[in-house]
Amino acid sequence: MIKTAGLCFRYAGGGRNALSDIDLEINDGDFFGIIGSSGAGKSTLTYALNGLVPHHFRGDFAGEVTVNGLDTRRSAPEALARHVGSVFQDIDSQMLASVVEDEILFGLENFAIPREEIERRVEDSLASTGISELRRRSVSSLSGGQKQKVAIAAIVALRPAIVVLDEPTGELDPQSSRRVFEILKDLNEDHGVTIVLVEQKIMLLCEFAKRLAVMGSGSLILSGPVKDVLSHAEELEEAGVNIPRVAALARRLEERGLYQGDVPLDIGRARIMIEGILCDASF
Amino acid sequence: MNGFLGYVNGSSPLHNLHPLTKMIMSVALCAPCFLSGNHLLILGIIALNLCLFASAGGAGRAITTLLSFVKFSAVLFVLQVLFIRDGTPIFTLPPGIVVTREGVMFSLLFVLRFMASTMPLALMLSVTPVGDISNVLVRNLRIPYKYAFVITTAVRFIPLFSEEMLGIMEAQTARGVEFDTKNFIKKIRLLVPLCVPLLVSSVRKIENSAISAELRGFNLRTRLSGYKQYSFGANDVLVIAACAAIIAFSASGILP
Repeated sequence: MIKTAGLCFRYAGGGRNALSDIDLEINDGDFFGIIGSSGAGKSTLTYALNGLVPHHFRGDFAGEVTVNGLDTRRSAPEALARHVGSVFQDIDSQMLASVVEDEILFGLENFAIPREEIERRVEDSLASTGISELRRRSVSSLSGGQKQKVAIAAIVALRPAIVVLDEPTGELDPQSSRRVFEILKDLNEDHGVTIVLVEQKIMLLCEFAKRLAVMGSGSLILSGPVKDVLSHAEELEEAGVNIPRVAALARRLEERGLYQGDVPLDIGRARIMIEGILCDASF
Repeated sequence: MNGFLGYVNGSSPLHNLHPLTKMIMSVALCAPCFLSGNHLLILGIIALNLCLFASAGGAGRAITTLLSFVKFSAVLFVLQVLFIRDGTPIFTLPPGIVVTREGVMFSLLFVLRFMASTMPLALMLSVTPVGDISNVLVRNLRIPYKYAFVITTAVRFIPLFSEEMLGIMEAQTARGVEFDTKNFIKKIRLLVPLCVPLLVSSVRKIENSAISAELRGFNLRTRLSGYKQYSFGANDVLVIAACAAIIAFSASGILP
């Protein structure tokens, strides 16, 4: 479980707080999405969860962050890494080896995983991310989507209870982005891994996440189940977040008294909503 | 894109050698360039490098690498020839610059040595994953892991920086900068300002890599952390013997 209480952080030399009074609880097994405009503090929040703030990025830190009971101020990032795995947007710079297998081995070797268990973990992580056939390939020969899957597999092999991802699909095409989301969903549902995902692709995020947080200017503006958050259209617009078009459509129909019900989060459900309205109109 | 110093997938006999054997081979192919001053021997070493590249499935890459060396070497050759005035004059250039026989021979030897001594490193890196190099440096050569990681990371970043530079150049080309000018001085003047964005993006990449390594337990690693085991085989013995023979031959003075 992740819990932040009164979390404030200002980078050394920074003019304003990157994070202001963040109170957040993320339960075990959650698929938690974080969204917000540029400079909203999303990445800094992920750094606070994996211990990079305050250990790597120095500055004024106030409040408390606990991850599986560990206070991040008192635990080094290496210690926290046994609980929290991190994946970043920049695909190339998080690759530390030249071959996929070596990339997976890097963390396993460092954390002194028993030799007899390493092979099983490598196979399992490659299989769970659907890239078993890439095991012997050189990293430089992979596409962006494949590299991001390798990055996720390298983290999954460490078997963390929580995986924090900072815009992992930022450099990927829509098809590869969806595949990454599907892998995360499988990890969440099949292996019980808690997913904390910062993402700009709101349509995908709303489709896959169970709960959503909206950030703006370092503060937490909204937090809750996805449908509840999407119902606050005005706050979302103020925070610079475009709500999914299907949700915007539902809102307009609701304003005109044509629809009352759950906000649809994908095109399939939006279609059912419209068919329902047309059906009612024909009677 | 693999770049000039990147690893190339393969299962050739060279790929399957012990990483330490490949490192020894790289040094052994380099050594004759400095032990002998015979032009033909060094040309032979270049040819041997090309053959080894071809046997590892990298003939095209070897030729591309060699051609880029030749272009650079041509500039070095001309500069050397112009600066060496001692020896038997061959001809005199208009402002009174004397080109000598010794100058030409020394300059030729200089650029051949440059090409022949650089290719074995490229060959070794194209058939050895950097992780294997790092493991061998730590386990067999007892180099502290942090230093081994720095060496292998520097090698790994060269193609990344090269790609980054190409990306910046393409972005500037799209804005109308003409990098394909034949004027060398003008080209240099166009490239110099690009060093700033390259430096900024490089520092950012290095920072991200450091974070990624730190969050995967980099600081916890010990000398015995490496999972992979490497064993010496008959091919390793043969290659090491051949390397010893090459070094002995080039140092023997049989060739003038």
